[in-house]
Amino acid sequence: MSDKKKTTLWERYLTKEIGIEFKACLYFFAILFFYCVFRMIRGSFEASILHMAEMILSCYAICYLQLLLFNNFDEADRFGAREYTGLAVCTCLYGLISFFGGWFERKPVVSLILGAYVIFLYFCVFLIYKTKRRIDDKVLNEELKIFQTEHKK
Amino acid sequence: MKIDVRQITEGEESIVIRYKDLTPTVSRILSILGDEGGKLWARNDEEKIQIELEDILYLESVDDKVFACTKDKTLRVDKTLNSFMNEVADGAFFRCSKSMVINVNRVVSLKSLSSNRIDATMEGGEHILISRRYASEFRRLLKGGDQ
Repeated sequence: MSDKKKTTLWERYLTKEIGIEFKACLYFFAILFFYCVFRMIRGSFEASILHMAEMILSCYAICYLQLLLFNNFDEADRFGAREYTGLAVCTCLYGLISFFGGWFERKPVVSLILGAYVIFLYFCVFLIYKTKRRIDDKVLNEELKIFQTEHKK
Repeated sequence: MKIDVRQITEGEESIVIRYKDLTPTVSRILSILGDEGGKLWARNDEEKIQIELEDILYLESVDDKVFACTKDKTLRVDKTLNSFMNEVADGAFFRCSKSMVINVNRVVSLKSLSSNRIDATMEGGEHILISRRYASEFRRLLKGGDQ
């Protein structure tokens, strides 16, 4: 690989950062939806800006934790002990932050339901990445065949 | 090194190289001679032999020694992976990690892995991991771009 094509430290950091921020936004909007449904059920049509700020910051921090400690378990090829530990730790963190941050009027049951919802989210994201990779497999193998045919001419 | 050049008017042209140690100079001469016809000089325990580039599945560097793996044998090559990539002008070879070069024409299938890595299954059944750092370059190569 020529030096021009080598990715710089800055580019590698940026790629990682964009990935984390994208995922933080994804989880933030999903949790915000849950929060809004809760508020509507309670008869309120207003959302606290402070809660929203807490949500996005906690999503960002937990996504970083996910990447640094648990090897991005929601993108994993298969689930093992490390992935299950990551799932449990991150889910507990969301539950605890929501409880102590008072997002759901400090109702432990709602925080527990949020935990279950987060597990469901992780499962959905895992399936999305799995499907994406399956499609990518097809594209890669088609391109490989074309490359081999053209190169052998 | 003594150089003895003789012009002949009849008979087959031949080159005889007599050496005591396989120095870099001798290796370079052999690689120049071996480049013709897409061949590479390699050696096993007893002898030095030429292998067809297209027979190579992959080259691997282990403890600063480079080995070329074909379907049925593993031979030592007196080159570094960098010098191999520079000297061998064959677009089918791709540097897939710090210690490996694969022959893309000998890849049976590819599998996309998490973190943008790729698993390449070779004809011999070996699985070679194309690291994230090299995966985008590999995708570009398959799409028809140069390395």
